Amino acid sequence: MAATRAGTRAREIFTSLEYGPVPESHACALAWLDTQDRCLGHYVNGKWLKPEHRNSVPCQDPITGENLASCLQAQAEDVAAAAEASRTALENWSGLPGASRAQHLTRLAKMIQKHQRLLWTLESLVTGRAVREVRDRDVPLAQQLLQYYAVQAHIQEEALAGWEPMGVIGLILPPMFSFLEMMWRICPALAVGCTVVVLVPLGSPTPLLLAQLAGELGSFPGILNMISGPASLGPVLASQPGVQKVVFCGAVEGGLRLLIQESVWDETMRRLQARMGCLRGGRGLDGAVDMGARGAAAHALAQRYVCEAQSQGAQVFQAGDVPSDSPFFPPTLISDLPPASPCTQAEVPWPLVVASPFRTAKEALAMANGTPRGGSASVWSERLGQALDLGYRLQMGTVWINAHGLRDPAVPTGGCKESGSSWHGGLDGLYEYLRPSGTPAWLPYLSENLNYDIFGLAVPSTLPAGSETGPGPAPPFGLFVGGRFQAPGARSSRPIQDSHGNLHGYVAEGGAKDIRGAVEAAHQAAPGWVGQSPGTRAALLWALAAALERRESTLVSRLERQGVELKAAKAEVELSVRRLRAWGARSQTQGHSLQVAELRGPVLRLREPLGVLAIVCPDEWPLLAFVSLLAPALAYGNTVVLVPSGTCPFPALEVCQDMATLLPVGLVNVVTGDRDHLTRCLALHQDVQALWYFGSAQGSQFVEWASAGNLKPVWVNRGYRRAWDQEAEGAGSELELRAARTKSLWLPMGD
Amino acid sequence: MAAQNPGTELDLSWISKIQVNQPAVLRRAEQIQARRTVKKEWQAAWLLKAVTFIDLTTLSGDDTSSNIQRLCYKAKYPIREDLLKALNMHDKDITTAAVCVYPARVCDAVKALKAAGCTIPVASVATGFPAAQTHLKTRLEEIRLAVEDGAMEIDVVINRTLVLTGQWEGSDFIKTSTGKETVNATFPVAIVMLRAIRDFFWKTGNKVGFKPAGGIRSAKDSLAWLSLIKEELGDEWLKPELFRIGASTLLSDIERQIYHHVTGRYAAYHDLPMC
Repeated sequence: MAATRAGTRAREIFTSLEYGPVPESHACALAWLDTQDRCLGHYVNGKWLKPEHRNSVPCQDPITGENLASCLQAQAEDVAAAAEASRTALENWSGLPGASRAQHLTRLAKMIQKHQRLLWTLESLVTGRAVREVRDRDVPLAQQLLQYYAVQAHIQEEALAGWEPMGVIGLILPPMFSFLEMMWRICPALAVGCTVVVLVPLGSPTPLLLAQLAGELGSFPGILNMISGPASLGPVLASQPGVQKVVFCGAVEGGLRLLIQESVWDETMRRLQARMGCLRGGRGLDGAVDMGARGAAAHALAQRYVCEAQSQGAQVFQAGDVPSDSPFFPPTLISDLPPASPCTQAEVPWPLVVASPFRTAKEALAMANGTPRGGSASVWSERLGQALDLGYRLQMGTVWINAHGLRDPAVPTGGCKESGSSWHGGLDGLYEYLRPSGTPAWLPYLSENLNYDIFGLAVPSTLPAGSETGPGPAPPFGLFVGGRFQAPGARSSRPIQDSHGNLHGYVAEGGAKDIRGAVEAAHQAAPGWVGQSPGTRAALLWALAAALERRESTLVSRLERQGVELKAAKAEVELSVRRLRAWGARSQTQGHSLQVAELRGPVLRLREPLGVLAIVCPDEWPLLAFVSLLAPALAYGNTVVLVPSGTCPFPALEVCQDMATLLPVGLVNVVTGDRDHLTRCLALHQDVQALWYFGSAQGSQFVEWASAGNLKPVWVNRGYRRAWDQEAEGAGSELELRAARTKSLWLPMGD
Repeated sequence: MAAQNPGTELDLSWISKIQVNQPAVLRRAEQIQARRTVKKEWQAAWLLKAVTFIDLTTLSGDDTSSNIQRLCYKAKYPIREDLLKALNMHDKDITTAAVCVYPARVCDAVKALKAAGCTIPVASVATGFPAAQTHLKTRLEEIRLAVEDGAMEIDVVINRTLVLTGQWEGSDFIKTSTGKETVNATFPVAIVMLRAIRDFFWKTGNKVGFKPAGGIRSAKDSLAWLSLIKEELGDEWLKPELFRIGASTLLSDIERQIYHHVTGRYAAYHDLPMC
C-alpha cells in the first residue's frame, strides 16, 4: 500500500524547498464548452443563437495555444436580432416595480454563486489570468455588485423619483478585459430597468456563460443579450433602433507609473526588486501563481516597449529567468527613462512598471497630472497631511491613500481627461443609465449632411443695420472677458433685432482668438475659485442674486423688447434670482463619505469641479436659462466661458456688469457672436474640460463629434427645448450631476 | 543554535523611522496564505521540512520526567519509520529542531535524549517565564542553572516594562510571543517582525532568527509559515539555525498528513504514536 503513492521527488524538494504546481482542474470549463459542441454562438433572448454561414474564430488557451472552441462571428443581422430582443424585453422589465427587479438580480447573484467554479476556471482558462485573482476577487465582487444594485433597484421608486430608465443600452467590450468590467456596467443598467446588448470580442466565452446563467433564471430572458463579434460592429450596434446609449471600456489592466521621491529612491528600488523577485509567473490555472499570461499580443506589446525603452537609454530590471520563447512576461521595472523620450509619454503596457524620481510633492503632482490619463492613482506616505493634499489635487477618478486597487460596489469609479467621464459603481453608476422623466428618447439619427469640416467655420459678415436708437439706455457692448468688457479681436459687431424687427443694439462679434483669451482667463481664475470654501461661493452667488434684483427693471425691459410680456418677464427675473440663491445653498452640501466592506476607514466621495466649463446657452429664456446654467457651474467650483442666447444676448450682458464688480476676474467670461462659430471654437479647444450645448440638432452632433478630441464630457440637447422654468429641467439634479465630477478618495485606517 | 548576533551600536533612529501600514500588512498576510499553497510531493517534503523546524514543546505545570521522556523520544522519531521509508526519506535523520521545557525539567530532557542517543538540543524557557516580572538577579540565576543542567538554548522573556518605555534589548532570535498570551503568533505581526529582521540584515549583514510560537496547530498552518519566511526573508532563513516553530500538537497533525499522503487514507487516532 505504501510507496505506491509517494513520489521520489520528495528528497529533492526537501532540500530545495521549491514551490510546486497547484493545478486547478478546468474539467468543468471544458465540459461546459462540450455542451456547446465546442462552438460558441451568441446568447439572445434566453437562447443560444448559432446562425449558419458565419465565419468562426478560434478561442485559444493563451498559454498553450490549444484550440478550446470556435466562436461564430456575428453579422449585422445578429446584432439586430439582439437589439430586437432587448427592445421587446424592455417593455416588461422597465415596467416592473423596482422590488421585482431586485429579486431577479438577487437570483442571478445566487446563480453565480452556485456555478462559481465553472465561472472562475473558464475565465482563467481563456484569459490566462491568475485563477486566485478571479476566484478570490472578481467572482465575489460580481456577486456583491448584483446585491448592491438589487438594493438600489428595491428603493428606486423613492430614491430615484423623477428619473426613468434610458432604454436599451449597448455595451462594447475591448479585446482584453475581465468579465468583472462588464458586470460594473450591466448591473446598474439592469437594476434601473434598462436592457442590455453586449458586443463581446471574439474568443471570450465568460460573458456568454453569464448570459446563459441569467437566461436560465427563466423569466425575462431578453434583458441581457450577448453578441460575439469584432469591434467594427460597434457602429451597427449604436445605430440599432431603440439603443439609447453605447458604453465602451478600454483595455483594463495596464502597466504602472511609479513616482518615487529622490531621498528614498535607492531604498524603494531595492525593496521593489526584492519583492518582484518573489512574484511567481505561470499558468493562470495554478493556485499559487501571482501573474498569468495575457496571450501573444500583450506579450509582444510589452516586449516592444521594453526594447524601445532600452534604446532610449532606460535601465530595465526583469525578475527571474523567463525564456524568450515563453508565453509569460517577467515582472519588469524600467527606470532612468529620459523625461522627453517617447516611452515616457506612451501608455505603459502590462506587466511593466516605469519608475521615475521626483524632488518635491509639488513636482510629483505636476508629473502625475501632466498626462492625458486620469483614471486612478495611489499615494504612499506616512505624512498624512501631505498625502491627503495630494489626494485632493490629483486629477484622477480614484485615489487610494496608502493602498492600491481596492474596489467596492458602493464606491463610484470614474475618471477624468482621456480616461473618460462615466462612472461605475455607487449611485453615480446608476445615473449613467437614467434620464430625467419626460426627456424624449434619443433617436439614432445622425445627419449625413453635416460637414464637420466646415460647420461654423466661417462667420457671415455683418453690416450696419439702421438706427440704434430705441426705448431705454443703449445696451452694454463688448465681450466680457477677464473681468471687463473688451473689444472683439475681429473689431466687428453684429446687430440684434427686437421682436418687431427693429434694431435693438449691437453685440461684439467674437471669434477664435476671443475664445482663446476667454479660456485663458478662465484657467487663470480656476485655482483661486477652486480654493474658495463653499460658503464663499454661496455668498457670491447670493450677492449676484441681490444685484439681479436691483437690476430688475432694466432686465425686464430688455426681455420686453424681445417680445416677452411684462408679467412673464418679471417672473423670469424673479425665478432667476431664486435659482442663484438655491444653487448658492446647494453648494454647501457636496460630497459625502461612504462606508465599505473589507476596509476600516471611510471612502470620501468628492464632487470636484470639471475645470473650465464652456456653456452655449439656448436662444430661448435668455435670462433664466443663462442663470440656470451658470449658477450650478459656479456653485461646483468651475470657471466658465459662456455664449449667451443668440437672439437676445442683452440680459446676459447686463448681468455681466454686476459680475464685473462682484466676481473674481476671469471666473465668468461671456463671448457673443456667431453661435456655430463659437461652438466650433469651444468644441475644438483641447483645454476646455467640459462643454454644454443648447442649440440645434446639427450643433449638438458637431459638438459630440469634435469633443472626442480630448474626450471632454459634453451635454447637448439635440435640438430639443427644455422647460427652463420647470424645477426638474431648470434646476434638477441633472444639472448637479453634470456640473461636477466624482472622485473617490480611499482612506484606509490602521493602528 | 549557530546564529549569533554580534550586536551593533544602539541607534534609536532606526526604530523611530519604522512605519507600519496596518491595512497593507493585513492584506499581505491574507495573500500569502491564499496564494502560496503546496500540494502532493511538495506538500509532503515541505511538511517533513517543517518537522525539522519544530521546537517540540511542553510547558505544563504538571510536566514530569515520564512525559518529558516521551516527548524526547518523539523528537527523535517524529514520523513513523515506514512512512519515511515510503517517501525515501528514512536516511535523512529527520528530527525536530529541539525540545523545549521549563528549567526544572531540563535535566530530565537531557537525560532522555542522551538515552535515545541523539544530539537534539534542549531549549529552556527561563527568566520568569511567561511574565518575566521577577528580579533581574533571579532571572539571570535561572538562566545559569538551566545552562548548568545542559540546556543549549534559552528562550528569554524580555522585560516588557523596559520595551514599553523605549529601552531595547538585542537578541539572536526573536519570538512572536511566549505562546501563553491570549493572542500569539499571527501573520500580520510576523510580517512586521520579519521585515525588521530583513532591514537589520540589510543594514548590518547580521542574520537574526525568528520563532513563531503559540497557536500553530495544523499542518496547513505550518506550511503557511514556511511560505511566509520564504517570501519575506528568502530560502537562506529556512534552516533550524534561523527559523523555529514553537509547538506541541503540530507534530501529530503533520504526521497524520504524511500518513494520508503515503497511504491515501486518513489515519485513526491509534495509528500514530502519541507524544
